[in-house]
Amino acid sequence: MIRPTSLLTLTRRGLSHASSPRAALPLAPRTHLRQPKPQSQIHTTTTTTPRQNNLTVTSRTTPSRPNRLSPTTRTYHSDHHPTQPHDYTNSQTTILSAALHHVPTHGFSRNALTLGARDAGFLDVSVQLLPRGEFDLILFWLASRRGLLRSKVESDGLFSAGPVLSVDDKIQILLMERLRMNAEVKDQWQDALAVMSLGENIPLSLSELHALADDILNLAGDKSVDASWYSKRMAVAAVYAASDFVMTRDTSAGLRETEEFVARRWADARAVGDKLTGVRECLGFMGSTAVGLGRSWGLKI
Amino acid sequence: MSSRSLWRSLQTQTRRRLAVPETPYRCFSCTRQAQAQPPKPTADEERFTHFGFQNVPESQKESMVKTVFSSVASSYDVMNDMMSLGIHRLWKDHFVRSLNPGSALPSRDHDTAGRGWNILDIAGGTGDIAFRMLDHATNINHDAATRVTIADINPDMLAEGKKRSIQTPYYNTNRLAFLEGNAQSMPSIPSNSVDLYTVVFGIRNFTDKQAALNEAFRVLKPGGVFACMEFSKVDNALFNAVYKQWSFSAIPLIGQLVAGDRESYQYLVESIEQFPSQEEFRGMIQKAGFLIPGRGFENLTGGIAAIHKGIKPLN
Repeated sequence: MIRPTSLLTLTRRGLSHASSPRAALPLAPRTHLRQPKPQSQIHTTTTTTPRQNNLTVTSRTTPSRPNRLSPTTRTYHSDHHPTQPHDYTNSQTTILSAALHHVPTHGFSRNALTLGARDAGFLDVSVQLLPRGEFDLILFWLASRRGLLRSKVESDGLFSAGPVLSVDDKIQILLMERLRMNAEVKDQWQDALAVMSLGENIPLSLSELHALADDILNLAGDKSVDASWYSKRMAVAAVYAASDFVMTRDTSAGLRETEEFVARRWADARAVGDKLTGVRECLGFMGSTAVGLGRSWGLKI
Repeated sequence: MSSRSLWRSLQTQTRRRLAVPETPYRCFSCTRQAQAQPPKPTADEERFTHFGFQNVPESQKESMVKTVFSSVASSYDVMNDMMSLGIHRLWKDHFVRSLNPGSALPSRDHDTAGRGWNILDIAGGTGDIAFRMLDHATNINHDAATRVTIADINPDMLAEGKKRSIQTPYYNTNRLAFLEGNAQSMPSIPSNSVDLYTVVFGIRNFTDKQAALNEAFRVLKPGGVFACMEFSKVDNALFNAVYKQWSFSAIPLIGQLVAGDRESYQYLVESIEQFPSQEEFRGMIQKAGFLIPGRGFENLTGGIAAIHKGIKPLN
């Protein structure tokens, strides 16, 4: 069940994508998204010497707006300006990725973080670098697995081989791929779900769930720009969240039961969607008929 | 007729106001104004610093702060309880709990760091924080190796702490040590030797805060944490008005009634007012070279106090 070697490779590969989930995009639009350049350097150039940091820091104490502490909020969605619910500095990433190795044995806990900090050459006290504690570890897991899913499609060509698949098939495959990643930490995952459902953690958990649904639909090649943009994301998020619970109780080989569950739920979601479309069309037809009938009676409609 | 007399009285009033000699500072009580000697004319290169709302030469601030804390040392706890309505105990408990001192996990074979943390508690004369941290390490994390050095510039506060330590299980053990020294330069503490550096309600009294932060950076091990709790700026305007009213009217009065020392508590509230805001102080911590976790500070009770943290990066 626990495969430390696979965890290691997954982590390394997942990381590069986790820090920049849209690595495939050209760089130009990303620079717009970041606020003034010297500010973002504080968070990313942690491996440089502290003296170098000084220069950037002094320059940013004068503006009243702090750096990413208050990121620009967008009221719209844009593929060119991906929102990042949380960023990590290099030191934080080092501790977190080292801590992931201890998750199968210690769970998503402070102990795992402490051991990760020790492995990375930090002290026990250095876990103060992660103000949210174990929830930071969970968020990091979610973000890095999401990046890994993206790299599976974009770099490893998950869909390039084999027959051409429909968007629905791709969504199901991606959902299962993502669930299989959680199987590595299956025994600890219920605890993590419990932590995520704590009141203070719900907003970030939900934004991470939305980011996952968004990624899955983008990777599956869904290009909808109408109201179904919302309903599809909600459907994917709901199916994923439900299947996540089923996965933690699934003892069948190769998560067969979970796979069947995903297929059933996705069929349900489609059925509901089809019914809604049917009802809408029916109502639209009846409405236009009524208008036509009224006009034929001489009403000024 | 009456308008002319009114006009004249206004005129004289303005003239009179102009004639009032300029006071070197503004404060609610005038006791200190009478007592304080005007700052001696000093050489141009002498630098000035805040002492409450007063500007004093840097060389004098240290001794003035010393006087203040020598006079409040004995009634320190009673006064803290009365001024903060007991909330300071909650803050201190929260501070210690969030730092979670002590290693809960046994040291593994390939771990370089030994078991137990080396904690330096600056300006912790009465041992408030030090005893809490030792209790937490022992009772919560079952770590009997964590040790605390209490450093304070004021021997009276240290004496108070020593007196209190007799009632703790750490008295006369190697887990607790006392050190009299100035936080801006502590040559007796080697570089890269401290896991956790705490300063609770102390840093606003330092003459040169940046120098103290730089010194903290020096003594901390790479990966070590600087943690500071200090009075800060309230973010809610309405609450701020209430709080200011309380601190400028009630606290000096309580000081006068309970400790018989209005001056020291007047200084206390003025020094709180002079302390930089959360964002400015975070900038100072960054300037010393620390990494800032997340937002960098945590407001307590609407910003009356704030916990700041910084982590010394690995090389």
